[in-house]
Amino acid sequence: MQASRARLFKEYKEVQREKVADPDIQLVCDDTNIFKWTALIKGPSETPFEGGIFQLAFAVPEQYPLQPPQVRFLTKIFHPNVHFKTGEICLDILKNAWSPAWTLQSVCRAIIALMAHPEPDSPLNCDSGNLLRSGDLRGYYSMARMYTRLAAMPKKG
Amino acid sequence: MQNHDGVQVDGKVESAASVATPEFDEWANFGDQDIMQQHSAIRAEEAEKIPFLGDKAILKSLDFEPLSSLASEYQSGSAILLEKIKVLGEQYAAIRRTRGDGNCFFRSFMFSYLEHILESQDRSEVDRIKANVEQCRKTLQSLGYADFTFEDFFALFLEQLDSVLQGNEESISHDELIRRSRDQSVSDYVVMFFRFVTSGEIRKRSEFFEPFIFGLTNATVEQFCKSSVEPMGEESDHVHITALSDALGVPIRVVYLDRSSCDNGGVSVNHHDFVPAGSDAPKASEGSEKVTPFITLLYRPGHYDLLYPK
Repeated sequence: MQASRARLFKEYKEVQREKVADPDIQLVCDDTNIFKWTALIKGPSETPFEGGIFQLAFAVPEQYPLQPPQVRFLTKIFHPNVHFKTGEICLDILKNAWSPAWTLQSVCRAIIALMAHPEPDSPLNCDSGNLLRSGDLRGYYSMARMYTRLAAMPKKG
Repeated sequence: MQNHDGVQVDGKVESAASVATPEFDEWANFGDQDIMQQHSAIRAEEAEKIPFLGDKAILKSLDFEPLSSLASEYQSGSAILLEKIKVLGEQYAAIRRTRGDGNCFFRSFMFSYLEHILESQDRSEVDRIKANVEQCRKTLQSLGYADFTFEDFFALFLEQLDSVLQGNEESISHDELIRRSRDQSVSDYVVMFFRFVTSGEIRKRSEFFEPFIFGLTNATVEQFCKSSVEPMGEESDHVHITALSDALGVPIRVVYLDRSSCDNGGVSVNHHDFVPAGSDAPKASEGSEKVTPFITLLYRPGHYDLLYPK
């Protein structure tokens, strides 16, 4: 408990320092609980998520950093490796490939990389995975784009 | 999960099935989180059976003790194994088991090394390894690891190292060393320290390790470190042992207990000494004098335990 708190505090300071260096990621710690974080990440360019701002919720376990944080999308997203209802993310580093060498910041970077490079062969969202696996890139793109517009872009007017 | 030898596996399968499966309204709601929770429940149940580090068990020759702790596992097993255990009993006094959770090599190494320092009070060895640890810290920094990701693990190992040396306020007894080695918050942190050191060494000398890694998996050196060295619970192979031994400058003897037989008729138990290479390992450069490792591990396919020579 004490060790995880100390580590998170170091990450907090690091995040303040790195704010300028990584404009695509905005990590914010909960005012009252250092085990709860949220992040705003920019959808990567040349993907259907471009121009969208996606919110992630982090729940950090007491055994952190020996155990991974639980991360999910709060913003609706149509992506093969993100559960359409719960926002749960299928990413190896959040499961068995986790190590303390990762940080909350680098997890955000890994999630942005996942958005740009979906893994349709291990889908949490089968509809999305099937579109990609059947080679219907246009179908995938337009569905993903629609949800980006509906959920991840500020409403005009 | 560790033992592929078919000896203890049966017990594991049963215990996996005996963990209560929670009720689910819908399979659709059964996510990765639930799978991980179930995994950790199984692990927790297993954990109660074997501590991270077991008690020292006397290894008697089969002649005197047909149900000696090790031989009893192989009662109905292969004759070669039983023969080899007999030979082991002639050379080694005791065995100390570690939990088969994928960290057994690192955990065995941790305890064996600290126990050696506690018993020998070899301050020059402590000074020597501290210099190597500092070198490992620089290696990780030069590889681009942020200090805060590994410094807590380094600090905890150095703390244990100081506390096994007697004569200061933090000094600990042998019993306390055992207690700490069984305490997850200490034991896992030290294991993770070794994982960082091992990963740093492999990546620093990636040209040397590349062919060995390619023989194990199809991964690049960096992928291998990210997926098979740094994560807790990933089993160790000769690549890990070589790297850790080299990085810390500590020789390690591994005794192999497997079904391989000997051509010359008689049964003998093979061992391999991992002797640190490279300029920062003073012991290796002493030349003709042969290094006898003070750390001896017993390898059975998929698992490492600790051995005590007579």
